[in-house]
Amino acid sequence: MGRRYDLTMAVFGLLGLVGIAAFIYQLQKGLIVTNMRNPFSWGLYISMWAFYVGTAAGGLVVSSAINIFGIKQLKPIAPVASLSAFIFAVSAMLMALPDIGRPDRLLNLFQYPNLESLIFWDFIVLSVYAILSAVYTYVQLQPRIAERGISLPLIGTVMKRDVTAAQLEELRKTSERRAKMLAPIALPFAILIHTVTAWVLATQFSRPWWYGGLLAPTFIAAALTAGPAVVILASLAIYGFKEDLKPTYRLLAKVSAFSAAVLLFMYYNDFLVRQWWGNGREYDALMLVLKDNLHIHVIEVSFLLAGIVILAKKYDTFSGLVAGSLLLNIGILAHRYILFPPAYNLIPFRVPVVMAKESFEWEYPIALGEVRGTLLNPEPIFVSYWNYIPSPVEVAITVGFFGLITFVFLALMKMLPVREQNEQ
Amino acid sequence: MVRYGMVIDLSRCIGCRSCAVVCKMVNAQPPGTWWQRVETVGSEEHMVPVGEYPNLSEVFLPVPCMHCENAPCVKVCPVGATWTREDGLVLVDFERCIGCRYCITACPYGVRQFNWQDPDENVREGFERAGFDSNWYADGEYRYGYPVDHRTEDGRLVYTSKRPRGVVEKCTFCVQFVDQGISPACVRGCPGNARIFGDLDDPNSEISKVLKDRSAFRLLEDLGTEPKVFYIPPARKEGRGGVRYGEKI
Repeated sequence: MGRRYDLTMAVFGLLGLVGIAAFIYQLQKGLIVTNMRNPFSWGLYISMWAFYVGTAAGGLVVSSAINIFGIKQLKPIAPVASLSAFIFAVSAMLMALPDIGRPDRLLNLFQYPNLESLIFWDFIVLSVYAILSAVYTYVQLQPRIAERGISLPLIGTVMKRDVTAAQLEELRKTSERRAKMLAPIALPFAILIHTVTAWVLATQFSRPWWYGGLLAPTFIAAALTAGPAVVILASLAIYGFKEDLKPTYRLLAKVSAFSAAVLLFMYYNDFLVRQWWGNGREYDALMLVLKDNLHIHVIEVSFLLAGIVILAKKYDTFSGLVAGSLLLNIGILAHRYILFPPAYNLIPFRVPVVMAKESFEWEYPIALGEVRGTLLNPEPIFVSYWNYIPSPVEVAITVGFFGLITFVFLALMKMLPVREQNEQ
Repeated sequence: MVRYGMVIDLSRCIGCRSCAVVCKMVNAQPPGTWWQRVETVGSEEHMVPVGEYPNLSEVFLPVPCMHCENAPCVKVCPVGATWTREDGLVLVDFERCIGCRYCITACPYGVRQFNWQDPDENVREGFERAGFDSNWYADGEYRYGYPVDHRTEDGRLVYTSKRPRGVVEKCTFCVQFVDQGISPACVRGCPGNARIFGDLDDPNSEISKVLKDRSAFRLLEDLGTEPKVFYIPPARKEGRGGVRYGEKI
């Protein structure tokens, strides 16, 4: 660990600082420093929010699987899994923060909640999920904390108690019992965070790329792909690739690869339904994927396919697990990103123009909300297509927040006694 | 119960965009933001007809906020900053909006606008890009637009000429005037008298009478948003810009 760990932490910590600096810059200048505008009002931040909600899944699903379905081979990595659930649920909410125009008014969510708004409910289920994951992690680690304590930097070991072997055994039993109690409560929330996040988008009748009942199931499939893949990576980092963990990794790899396959099935099923009619808003949304955003689509599908193949075949090698999990996560990330361009660039307000020779749907342009051009070289303020590419500030904040999250995750992993006693 | 609505007679619209300009001035919209849009349907440039000569079509379509009965923006707002007032106006509370922009996503008409930066900065950029040497706003407290902040009866700030950064805004049917019994600026500013504003629930109001015997339509009817802005379809234009009602074609 030693040197390599310090170096990793330094890199991620530095990235985190860059992200915070970029966030402060954005707070000063306003969201004008992003490349989002009125016709394209959500971008990279909200894609990352949806992505982190997905990666948060793995943790608690893994933990619940142990206690509800009795799948014992997942047990050794359970603390890492539930801690990753906590971290990513918090990350999802953290990632929404730079997207908010007035973060200073966030308390309005408690003061004046609108029960009809799914963003409000998403906030509630994500918070509950984060708290449950934290409690779940603590419950699992309780005997070990009593035994070995939490090692904080500078302060040293805290919460260590002098326990006899009998007391420890008692603590272990209590921990087991409590974990069993928590699992059935946590599992519904593990599912709800994905469905409610999907419903935020899927309820919007004016956005045919999202609207419909299929979005929530694909969000679950994407979560069951990204979640276990993240747990594989985290466990490899913490526990390493050990003989007795092979069945665990195999199971996680299979769940992840299978879910990715299900995701691709649902995705292309939707493609076929949209394509067949050959016209209309649903079809046009699909064409925005297959024409304007083909590069992203190729990334998502090729990475997902490669990840499926590698995880399904090379689950018993270290490099296979790492490569497969990374590929699947990048695929899911692209899958999340492509939620937005086909939704926004299909202006919902379209007016049919019917003439003898031709008829078409004309998109009513939207004001950008930004001063553009000059007196002598005017540029249009009203546009019906906005070529959104994340601005450097958006990229810096996103990458920086990722660095921050990883930094905190790794630090927690070091402080908490997530390893078995004999591995120390 | 009062339920305000608007009728726009497309036969009378000459596409002059006076409504958009007067709206922008009176409501102190920062450069780059437009509550009111007027475009030529089907055309890439305003005032350019679509089609091939002699089969040309030139219909101007002004689009304010529709003040929908089933307003998606009201339903999605997580903090209730956008709400439908008893008289049917869909308003934004500048002091409550958290700037999440979910409503911009939800609105199918694209009428919602976000203050991506401090609006004073927009004004400064506007002067700069228009070729002025100095920022005329730099020193004074003066802002263009209706000068007095307006609050609803329950004290919610729905109009201010000093727009806060990071909040969403949109057409309010000029709530600051409606509350004083005056029509919205676009209605009064229209040189063709194409707009009528009034109480849809009052059978004797002008708007009700106008809507009574006509086949008015609303935009994106199939989305079920139930707009309170009605359009009267354009009659066929004959001769030079003349519109003749009631003649046989």
